[in-house]
Amino acid sequence: MSRSLDHPIRINLEKCGGCVHCLKACPTQAIRVRNGKAQVIGELCIDCGACIRYCPNDAIESRTTPFSDLKAFKYKVAIPATVLYGQFGNDTTPNEILSALRHEGFDQVFELSSICELYASAAEEYLAEHPRPRPLISTTCPVVVRLIQRRYPALCELIIPIEPPREIAAKILRATLPGILKLAPEDIGMIHITPCPAKMVSINRPATMEKSFLDGAISIRDIYGPLLKSLKKIDQNSIMRHLFPENVFSGLGLGWSLSGGEARGFKKHRTIAVSGVRDTIRVLDQVESGQLKDMDYLECMVCPDGCVGGPLAVENRFVAKSRILHLMGKAGERVGVERSDFGPLVREDFLSFQHPVKPAEVPRLDPDPVRAIQKAARRDEILRRLPLKDCGACGAPDCRTLAEDIVRGLAELDDCPIIRKEPR
Amino acid sequence: MNEDLSYRQEFSIAGGDFSRAGEVSRRIKNLLKELGIDAQVVRRAAIASFEAEMNVIMYAVQGTVHLTVSLDEVRIVVDDRGPGIPDIELAMTEGYSTATKEMRELGFGAGMGLPNIKRNADAFRLFSEPGRGTRLEITMARDGRPS
Repeated sequence: MSRSLDHPIRINLEKCGGCVHCLKACPTQAIRVRNGKAQVIGELCIDCGACIRYCPNDAIESRTTPFSDLKAFKYKVAIPATVLYGQFGNDTTPNEILSALRHEGFDQVFELSSICELYASAAEEYLAEHPRPRPLISTTCPVVVRLIQRRYPALCELIIPIEPPREIAAKILRATLPGILKLAPEDIGMIHITPCPAKMVSINRPATMEKSFLDGAISIRDIYGPLLKSLKKIDQNSIMRHLFPENVFSGLGLGWSLSGGEARGFKKHRTIAVSGVRDTIRVLDQVESGQLKDMDYLECMVCPDGCVGGPLAVENRFVAKSRILHLMGKAGERVGVERSDFGPLVREDFLSFQHPVKPAEVPRLDPDPVRAIQKAARRDEILRRLPLKDCGACGAPDCRTLAEDIVRGLAELDDCPIIRKEPR
Repeated sequence: MNEDLSYRQEFSIAGGDFSRAGEVSRRIKNLLKELGIDAQVVRRAAIASFEAEMNVIMYAVQGTVHLTVSLDEVRIVVDDRGPGIPDIELAMTEGYSTATKEMRELGFGAGMGLPNIKRNADAFRLFSEPGRGTRLEITMARDGRPS
């Protein structure tokens, strides 16, 4: 069923209590409660996962790659988001976490912070070569890309045509590993480790290419327990890893998991960093009405405080942020990527999109312009009769959405409990 | 019969209310998207209505925005009670501004507002009675600019 490929968010009907928390949390009004259970309207959902965070019954699940799927690959590579480094105790080093991943069955672990820094350099180069239009928008958060495709089609052209670090990393490995390992490309599995439910969609249905370079995504939630166990087991080796670290981390790149961390990598351009889905929507509204043209680059992360606030992370985002900031401080301003080194990659368009981001179809009031006008007028009329309490008891998040559902033929005026109680 | 068919909505803007700046243009934009108006037309309407809204907030006491969406065009009329514009030709000059230092510090009043509105509209009319108020009328063809 294509539905599962399109959206990772799934309601566990046994756990769902039919309350209104997820209705209210959804920034695109994509959830309704029908017959006492929540339902997601696929065309409206942007996979932000806000509902996961607010469900009191833990009834909203996100489909990620199950461990058993890894068996299909002869060689498995983990590409963890830098958020992972903030999930374990203060004394746990990133190198220990990476080796715990190997202990869990990955043949290779690829460290992303240097690729994040590479992205920032490539993006600055692009900005310098393309003085207009402004502001260009980051591709790091896949939800922002989906939001723009659906709600801000005219802003698609502002999305900077550079693949996000996770895809660049997988592309580099795809270009090199088959030769080194003498394996067929399909035998090598590239798995992203992530706090984000939307990565699964960006892998199954990428917006900028035919096929993602990644093969799947495992949530931090799912891999946390096994990693914690491994971290305890391999403790005797930790002194060696402290003395001889396998990876050198980019301080700039580590910041990617925090709001503003990406923007920090831009030295010559004016940037603005936004986090949280509602604030992202507010700022995109401003961009659409022609404001913020004096900004060069817009970093939007729909999770609060950036990826550390991802709904599939384990550690609370404040603690995770504190740990990441500590790691950034330790790594310092050390440059991991020399601009002259990656010049050829930029010239070969290695980091670029295969095709531009295209607007996505969203359901309008009606495809026919005459009926759309009629329905909008009727919706306003109905809205005037509704109590405007936005209580959600009808199953729609607010009165306006109920009025819209009524004109679309998906609900009835009597769904409103306050209207139902009125004497006729 | 269908020629009379149109969607109408009214919005009120309070002069001096900078905290709600952009609210009316945002609502107009969302209505236009719902009605299936072409994305580029929506964007131009958003830019023009934002500038018009800012003019009311910066200079007028109160303003009313009338949005009309018919089968061929989007029409936005902004009526305000305020000081009016004594010399419209001068006001239309790029860079000409009567904005106070305060407004400029907020990033407004670069003298590009009216010219920018005109640039984004297919038809543009501006009337003013100094001391009473100003009326701005803009229209945009629904399917891009008319040839």
